[in-house]
Amino acid sequence: MTLFLHTYQFFTQHPGTIWRHTLQQLYLVAIPLAAAILVAVPLTMLATRVRRLYGPVMGFANAMQTIPSLALLALMIAIGLGIGVLPAVLALFLYALMPIVRNTYVGIMGVDPGVKDAARGMGVTSWQLLWMVEMPLALHVIIAGIRSALVATIGFATLASLIGAGGLGSLIMEGMGLASNSIVLAGTIPAIVLAFLAEGLMSRVERVLTPRGLRV
Amino acid sequence: MTDADMASPVGDTDAILEFRGVTKSFGGRAPAVRHFTLSVPRGQLVVLIGPSGCGKTTTLRMVNRLIEPTDGSIWLEGRNYKSYNPVELRRRLGYVIQRIGLMPHLTIGDNIAFVLRLLGQAPQARRARASELLEMVGLDPAEYLDRYPTELSGGQQQRIGVLRALAHDPDIILMDEPFGALDPLMREQLQEEFKRLLRTVSKTIVFVTHDMDEALSMADVIVLMKDGAIVQVAPPEEMLRHPADEFVASFMGRHRVLRQASEVSVADVMIASPVMTPEASGLARSLELMRRRRVNSLLVHDAGGHYVGVVRQSELQDHIEAGDQSPVGSLADRTADTLAPSDSGLTAMHQLLSHQQLDSLPVLDADDRIVGLVTRGTLVGLLGDALRVAADVQEIRAEAASAPAGEVAR
Repeated sequence: MTLFLHTYQFFTQHPGTIWRHTLQQLYLVAIPLAAAILVAVPLTMLATRVRRLYGPVMGFANAMQTIPSLALLALMIAIGLGIGVLPAVLALFLYALMPIVRNTYVGIMGVDPGVKDAARGMGVTSWQLLWMVEMPLALHVIIAGIRSALVATIGFATLASLIGAGGLGSLIMEGMGLASNSIVLAGTIPAIVLAFLAEGLMSRVERVLTPRGLRV
Repeated sequence: MTDADMASPVGDTDAILEFRGVTKSFGGRAPAVRHFTLSVPRGQLVVLIGPSGCGKTTTLRMVNRLIEPTDGSIWLEGRNYKSYNPVELRRRLGYVIQRIGLMPHLTIGDNIAFVLRLLGQAPQARRARASELLEMVGLDPAEYLDRYPTELSGGQQQRIGVLRALAHDPDIILMDEPFGALDPLMREQLQEEFKRLLRTVSKTIVFVTHDMDEALSMADVIVLMKDGAIVQVAPPEEMLRHPADEFVASFMGRHRVLRQASEVSVADVMIASPVMTPEASGLARSLELMRRRRVNSLLVHDAGGHYVGVVRQSELQDHIEAGDQSPVGSLADRTADTLAPSDSGLTAMHQLLSHQQLDSLPVLDADDRIVGLVTRGTLVGLLGDALRVAADVQEIRAEAASAPAGEVAR
């Protein structure tokens, strides 16, 4: 009971601290994720056209997600990027690639070959095939990939404080250092809320972007 | 000279579409299409038919350059295919495929007008054209325009697939087994509807199928292919009467008009997939099956496919009204004669005509399994064919009679 009371007190007495860390957490998630989308989606689309690209692209993304997250962070230091926001953002970016690459590829390759044949036979250019046929039909699959990348990134981002990137993780670390559970909770609760909000938001987006004709 | 050469003089000015020595090979394998030469006159429906792997689909897909020929050339409206940009070319043609390929994320209206959108037409104009086309096949635009393909049955979807190919009013329509995925009833319905549609809009059509029934009912000219080459080019009637060789004859199979009724075996004329029901089936279900398939008798078979008997609609109805709960097998009547596939058409005719109350006779193999059905209708068709051949023979004799006297004298 006292724990809740203390936590509540921490929230009311240090709203600025919590907001600051939450905000840091937000861009620790948003920047790498945005970058991952901007890189992974076009690159994978290219890989659906130039098949031999897919192996290296997917292989790289896969490797990045297979490396234990802590090791990936440590690696950033080892390769000389030092500590702080930049190496953390880079590590998070690399970590977020795989689900997006995978789902973009699966989404586009999964478009009914009959639909693609009909479209080509009616005279779409290869751009039109992508924009008018493949993208609309693959979008909800791509969004699902972004959704799992987002949730993973939010989880991973709390670790980023280990290399001095700030965020809610640093509150958690601080609390653990001071053996203060209320400070730990002040870091964990917003992190959990953030994860659920993001998940909820993305599942809505996914639903909205599913073409009406594909909804069951 | 082969038939192909005779039927398609190179440089035919009447032709809207011409293949000149078109060859396609994929990698090191035997060519999929070899020296394909054909000219398609404007307004004709040409059916490419042959066993699977004969190159018919490859030939079709070379017309809209989804596949590039390895050798030879294709001429569309007097222009070499290479002078068209592939995308531009495809927008001038109509294209219907077996897999239908409607865009699942677009409404029916947008699907029909897809090519119009590619051609840059305004949304209102596209919608108006889609409505117009829906009306042409008797579908209410108010009901269909804004629905999605998944809400439609396969038959309805392919109707839309056909309309889509007509939207931009192309002169040439390419159809790759358009009705192949539909059930037989739906297929026939769409064939009829399409033929009706073609009477209102004059189009040149290249139609690929492997179904000879379909070819015979649709084609102005049938092009029979084998191993990538043309075996025979002829109108349906001619191909039936004068198959170029054994292969054509066997491919035409039961459709061939045989010269004398005695030459026809029951296997040639029988309905190969009669309406049947297992003996354990219920009475009401059997009656429903009859209604659906529009027949007035059913062949009843046991679990092994052996003939149990025949049951008639009137009988079935009487028993249902009397509240009979027994399976249909208990009503099956086995007293009537049966035929073997090797029996001659004359035997079948004789048996059917000598039993006034019979409409049809089951055809059983040596193990008593049902393999077909001969109806009075089948025999009337047979008789009709025989009479037509007889008339032809007379005509030929008459021609011979008007020829130089010296030849007739003998």
